[in-house]
Amino acid sequence: MRDQASMLKMTLAALVVLANTASWSFDETKYPDWSGQWRRPARIGNQWDTSKPVSKQEAPLTAEYQAIFEANRADQAAGGQGTDPTYTCIPDGMPRAMNVIFPMEIIIQPSVTHVIIEYLSMLRRIYTDGRPWPADPTPSFMGYSIGKWIDEDGDGRYDLLEVETRDLKGPRAFDASGIPLHADNQTIVKERIYLDKANANVLHDEVTTIDHALTRPWTVLKSYDRVPNPIWIEAICAESNQLVRIGSEIYMFSADGRLMPAKKNQPPPDLKYFNQSRK
Amino acid sequence: MSYRSSFISILLMMLPVASTAMAHDASKYPDLKGQWTIIITPGLEGQAVKFDPTKPWGRGQEAPLTAEYRQVHEDSMADQAKGGLGNYPTATCHAGGMPRMMSIGEYEYIVESDTTYILVGGEDHYRRIFTDGRPWPAEIEPTYAGYSIGKWLDEDGTGRFSVLEVETRGPFKGPRAYDATGLPLHFDNQSIFKERFYLDKTEPNILHDMITVIDHALTRPWTVDKTYRRNPNPRPNWREFYCVDGNVHIVIGKENYYLSAEGLLMPAKKDQAPPDLRYFKKSSK
Repeated sequence: MRDQASMLKMTLAALVVLANTASWSFDETKYPDWSGQWRRPARIGNQWDTSKPVSKQEAPLTAEYQAIFEANRADQAAGGQGTDPTYTCIPDGMPRAMNVIFPMEIIIQPSVTHVIIEYLSMLRRIYTDGRPWPADPTPSFMGYSIGKWIDEDGDGRYDLLEVETRDLKGPRAFDASGIPLHADNQTIVKERIYLDKANANVLHDEVTTIDHALTRPWTVLKSYDRVPNPIWIEAICAESNQLVRIGSEIYMFSADGRLMPAKKNQPPPDLKYFNQSRK
Repeated sequence: MSYRSSFISILLMMLPVASTAMAHDASKYPDLKGQWTIIITPGLEGQAVKFDPTKPWGRGQEAPLTAEYRQVHEDSMADQAKGGLGNYPTATCHAGGMPRMMSIGEYEYIVESDTTYILVGGEDHYRRIFTDGRPWPAEIEPTYAGYSIGKWLDEDGTGRFSVLEVETRGPFKGPRAYDATGLPLHFDNQSIFKERFYLDKTEPNILHDMITVIDHALTRPWTVDKTYRRNPNPRPNWREFYCVDGNVHIVIGKENYYLSAEGLLMPAKKDQAPPDLRYFKKSSK
């Protein structure tokens, strides 16, 4: 009898512990391990489609936006910035942020996955709490992202994060070559993010961009390597930016901090607001 | 016998759940979820971004500055009164760094076993407070935010952490200022910050950051209690703010200028000379 009573007590105690254990609402074992620092693989550039050279991205642009792109290339060849707007240190925005110019960290939590990119403090919040799209969104460079975890192989563990991002503001380009996104900022970005099946230290992001500058959705596969023993850098664009926009012209700073032309024969800025007798 | 079997079965059932779910036991940490906005005493003179939120900015902060750095502050304000930037490069979108980055906007805290993240936004970087027991690195790369190591404490012995003690060291990048008057930290960038983060004992939707600055511009350590209120909305709106988006300051050489409404250069100070255009061909003027 005593033995049975003891066993009953122990069973009840075990049940209490089990209940408390079950109340730890976030079981990280259900999610993939995306911890650590992720970088572009060595020898991979910062272009949008890393399977193609910078100069041959073959973006499926409409005729109108192909012309804009060509004019942009000519301006860049002459020393301008073309349609790459980031020379003023505005963020890359989506989808360009996923070029991961500087390292990235991903933090998975029950209701949101944070994507932290070490450049211009670009931060994505991918909401996975089942929320609807906001009725009155405020456009932003990084957009508003809603995601859903999927267990594709049925092993009881999530392995894929599907994401849709909307409500973007501009201007934005796909990469430094200036491949433009439409000025209407109606871009939708869809992603499938997952670890490589053969190498858990490789993360893939299959990114599909739907945009009115394109003739069709444009899908690229981006990959990142996990870095052991990471060092986190602080990349502050304004600290070392050598470009400045005055009026409709972009100039450069010389090594001694003075204004200089960015293009051949570029006129100096209009100084009409200065007291001319001080020159 | 049947009771023993049941007990063993329950134990076996528990083991995988208990062992695998131990990786991060969120119940051991205070609930810092949500959006936190700094609490400022209303009606005080000056901007809201300041070190001591209970006092006016600038001179009103009554910072325990050395005589030398009191003069740096006065010089900064005098330059700003004439249209200059003073000791405040943050106006041109440089990062504010520590401690100013704890005085602005809205914050989010993410508590993991080995790191507590403070998401700041804007021109300032994120803070990573490493709580994995690591030693101080032999060399620290200069940053505006500094390098932070923290330790969770269970001060009231409940089995649950209640305080995060943090030390942040440099070398820092600079110059850094506490607020937009250019209230200065020492240009040697050797500041040390010690912080205690804890939820208010009577109001768990108020977070304290008791922050002490140790800096060679000060005559003594300077401690203030910064408090933040949690937004009751479980799905708060996170604003995206980038200083460069619409900034009208341009620094050319050592001079600060403005951009007019049409984007042309204009003086920031009375009788300010235009920039030196020696690198432009005279024929293209």
